[in-house]
Amino acid sequence: MNPQGGRSRFALVILVLACLGLSAAAGVPISAFEEAFRAIPVSDPHRFVAAVELGLTQTDFPATEVLQLTGRVSATMYTAQEKEALLLPVIAAMEDGLPVDGLVTKGLEGLARGIPVPQIEQSLRQRRVLLIETRDLLYALGIFSVAPGSPQSVPTAIPTPRFNLLVTHVSDTIADYLEGGGSPFEGQALYQEVRFRLTSLEGATLKAEDVDLVLKRIEPSDLTRVALAAVT
Amino acid sequence: MYRVQDEVSLLRASLEGETEAWGEVISRYKDAVFGLCLGFLRNRADAEDITHDAFIRAYVNLRRYNLEKRFSTWLFTIAANLCRNRLRYRRNHPVAELPTQIRGGADPATIVARDDRHVEVREALTQLPYGYRAPLVLRFYNDLSYREIADILSIPEGTVKTRIHRGKAMLKQRIEEERDRP
Amino acid sequence: MKPNEIDDILRDTLRQEVAETAGALSGLEEQILGELDERRPRLRVSDWLRQMLAPTRGGRIGQLSVVGATAAICLLIGFFVAQQVASDGNAPGIRLTPSRATDGSQEVLFVLPALDATDVSVVGNFNSWEPTALSDEDNDGIWTASIPLPPGRYEYAFVIDGRWWGQDPLADGYVQSFGEYSSVRYVGGGDGA
Repeated sequence: MNPQGGRSRFALVILVLACLGLSAAAGVPISAFEEAFRAIPVSDPHRFVAAVELGLTQTDFPATEVLQLTGRVSATMYTAQEKEALLLPVIAAMEDGLPVDGLVTKGLEGLARGIPVPQIEQSLRQRRVLLIETRDLLYALGIFSVAPGSPQSVPTAIPTPRFNLLVTHVSDTIADYLEGGGSPFEGQALYQEVRFRLTSLEGATLKAEDVDLVLKRIEPSDLTRVALAAVT
Repeated sequence: MYRVQDEVSLLRASLEGETEAWGEVISRYKDAVFGLCLGFLRNRADAEDITHDAFIRAYVNLRRYNLEKRFSTWLFTIAANLCRNRLRYRRNHPVAELPTQIRGGADPATIVARDDRHVEVREALTQLPYGYRAPLVLRFYNDLSYREIADILSIPEGTVKTRIHRGKAMLKQRIEEERDRP
Repeated sequence: MKPNEIDDILRDTLRQEVAETAGALSGLEEQILGELDERRPRLRVSDWLRQMLAPTRGGRIGQLSVVGATAAICLLIGFFVAQQVASDGNAPGIRLTPSRATDGSQEVLFVLPALDATDVSVVGNFNSWEPTALSDEDNDGIWTASIPLPPGRYEYAFVIDGRWWGQDPLADGYVQSFGEYSSVRYVGGGDGA
């Protein structure tokens, strides 16, 4: 055991205790996740639990659905490695602080449809790449996220939950488009799809000013770049 | 075409639940919407469906329509979006396309002559990719400006012009190829 | 071909096509107005009372039926009241997604004609893709469920006797998912959408 081991273990314990409080507030105890990961069993349970704890620090974390996904993949007839592989894109996304709603719901859908687990994993991996690229794109366009309640550093910094919704919906649109056989090179078509999705959600889901900000700054070629990153 | 003031009154009346007023709106726009759909979808049954759906949807969403903007653009946008959805669906569920027959009495020579030219063009139109065909239909059937076409299809005005230019060139080429065929 | 010849040809061809098939449009007004009338909430209060009191599968499904029926009755009452009150320029009585709860949730109606089916449910991202049953109490082959949904975008499919079917004609659009179709509905909120 390395010399740092004792200290990081201690920190982990504190984190777990803190998150027990948090997850109790979220309604799903951490122990439920621990049990679920153990049931598969995953090869690195500490990593999985830590990722969930990170996720729980975000207000929009879909705790129940993550647990459901874990439980349902666990119940399939695939090997432990295959089950773990399906969860990995979600875990990695959590570790990156990315919004995982889209990933989780897609995973649940795949399982409900009886799609082979490796195929679902493939789809989730692609969607995770799109989440990363989309967030990077927004940053490149000068659109940043800021913790809710914190003062805006720049006018184009928006509270994290709203920022996450933009990331989710833009990347999800591109994912659906690619899955439907759309060509990444049709930037205009992609832009149209994104515009349609975002404006359809204007109102209670997305703020009009956020949609406006994104649509004004995003170019079709940006979306082509993001889409290409996912398919290459 | 239509007296704008008159149209605003019809729309306000429709909003207030006067279905006769909406009936009048349908009468005024059904040919335009159907032509758009037929041009986009190249399938009569689908065009009928979508025309019908467009008017239902427009009525249901009427309170979201901003009376200051042009109603026709809004209505055509609804139709265009529905067409796009239907095309996506049709990509995996194609129907056997029945060629539209030319009916009505006339001198057979004229019919044949008209037949040939129109059949070529119809065929060429159907083969044209949707992205090129849609602006052509809006321009040459619905007589819309580049600005309006851009709004309806959510593409920049410059792209509309390019697409129309390229679309016509592609059509021309295809028609000439057909004619040169022995 | 002369430069403007293609313009004229295009115009002619498109108009010709419409002229030939425009017979299809006669009676469109009547058809649509008739349908818009039919889509108003059913006026027979006895129907809704019967639905509320009928034995349900119990639990959540039963609750949903009751919620749906209650919402429908409130809609009805609201509809009648609105008709008495002077119009304030608000929407006509046609709604596929009527009534709003204080959290913005709306009762969303799922309707599927499935004459020979014995079991119809809806799965989607609003119920973690686990079936919520539709019911056909009067055995007329029209299955319905009314589900309260907060504003957002919903993907779903119907499960008809165990088979998934994702092309709801009432959907706002469709997406392809794992090679199959899902339907999409947007539930509005605020004054933006």
